[in-house]
Amino acid sequence: MNWVRQTLLRNWLVRAISTTIGQKLVMGATGLLLCGFLVAHLAGNLLIFQGTEHYNRYAKMLHENELLPVAEAGLLVLFVLHILLSFTTASANTAARPIGYYGKHSKLSGGTFVHAHNYMFLTGVLVLGFTLLHLSDMRFAHLNLRLKYDSTLDPAAHALHVLHDPISAPVYLLGSLVLGFHVSHGFQSAFKSLGLNHPKYTPFLSKLSILFGIAIGLGFASMPFWYYFAGH
Amino acid sequence: MSAMLDLTLKIWRQDGPKTRGAFKTYHLKGISTEMSFLEMLDILNEQLIQLGEEPVAFDHDCREGICGMCSLMINGQAHGPETKTTTCQLHMRRFHNHDTIVIEPWRARAFPVIRDLVVDRTAFDRIQAVGGFVSINVGNAPDGNSVPVPKVNADKALDAAVCIGCGACVAACKNASATLFVGAKVSQFALLPQGQAERVQRVQKMVAQMDKEGFGSCTNTSECEAACPAGISVEMISRMNLEFLKATVVGAT
Repeated sequence: MNWVRQTLLRNWLVRAISTTIGQKLVMGATGLLLCGFLVAHLAGNLLIFQGTEHYNRYAKMLHENELLPVAEAGLLVLFVLHILLSFTTASANTAARPIGYYGKHSKLSGGTFVHAHNYMFLTGVLVLGFTLLHLSDMRFAHLNLRLKYDSTLDPAAHALHVLHDPISAPVYLLGSLVLGFHVSHGFQSAFKSLGLNHPKYTPFLSKLSILFGIAIGLGFASMPFWYYFAGH
Repeated sequence: MSAMLDLTLKIWRQDGPKTRGAFKTYHLKGISTEMSFLEMLDILNEQLIQLGEEPVAFDHDCREGICGMCSLMINGQAHGPETKTTTCQLHMRRFHNHDTIVIEPWRARAFPVIRDLVVDRTAFDRIQAVGGFVSINVGNAPDGNSVPVPKVNADKALDAAVCIGCGACVAACKNASATLFVGAKVSQFALLPQGQAERVQRVQKMVAQMDKEGFGSCTNTSECEAACPAGISVEMISRMNLEFLKATVVGAT
């Protein structure tokens, strides 16, 4: 296997991406693009509050688009890269400190505040679990035996069926909030990983990142909250 | 007026790189608040020598915050509770009577413990040796005004060059990442005209060596910046990332 590795490393791009800096550049780029997907996804989903007919019209338009498989494939590549690199960097980071400290205290201001940056791997894994459940509920619903998929239901009716499920709804609510927490650090961190950090715009991006996390978290959580927990 | 402190110290003791270490507790009485932290350790060591015990090994040299030799994780904070301060600049007035102080070495795979609180930081030297320099065959020094440097860049380069290479950034980082150190070393040359000739190779070689030494990657937590006694900004890390991206795109195959 070593010769495969050696051959691959002769390529300049493989060599660059395999460094810790290169891995973080790809993490940042994929993370930022996935943030873009979240915005589009949330905007589409929120149409359900406007009325099922609006939601169905949007779903129909989306599904009839010939470029949808291309977009799905692109999205899959982004997810796979982001997840794969999170595991490689996390394991390398754990290996970088074999013996931990007796006790460690932050020197950052607001030290007791729960910083999202300390839980990126954990929240990422939770989001992955939530995403897999969500895919089995929606994208692969026809294969989902638990939900008793009814192919006669229109997209809005199916979404409401899922949002009233006693397993999916609580997971969606918590998963959305965890996702918001994850991106509240990830959004601004991506810019820094991509080499963009300047006193002119970084303080603004840091604040925007927190607002973005709140908007994504509450935005997605609003649907399971409204339909399952508020009983609509 | 100086007060006197009675302290309990929990200090990491380890005979050598291959042996297992453990915390040992010591009680010290009558420590003046005017003393520096390292003077307090000197007092402890004198008492240990009088008792026929092995003194605690710790790194120190200039004791005025410029050499980067002192280290120590004090109560879980690199260089102790002060900001922009090295361990040697920390004074006992920062502590209270009957405090328990936990003292540990820097913890990182790339910084193996040599003995007690002394760690091997030659990984930093090896990173420097692959690119932290400029190769210029000099004759007479050129006229200062013949090499124009924008004031902003000169200031930023100096902000990077104040790094003393102590390793607090690695110690404070949850990933034991050396990106603040390497970022500062890359930046100080990337910002100046003298550093341009080797700009592309420098960042590639230094990043490769950093990875080879076994440091972790950057999660942008800014813990390194908060722990840095020289006040190096995490902007240096982003500059290195950008330099690396540029080098990947425009550099040789």
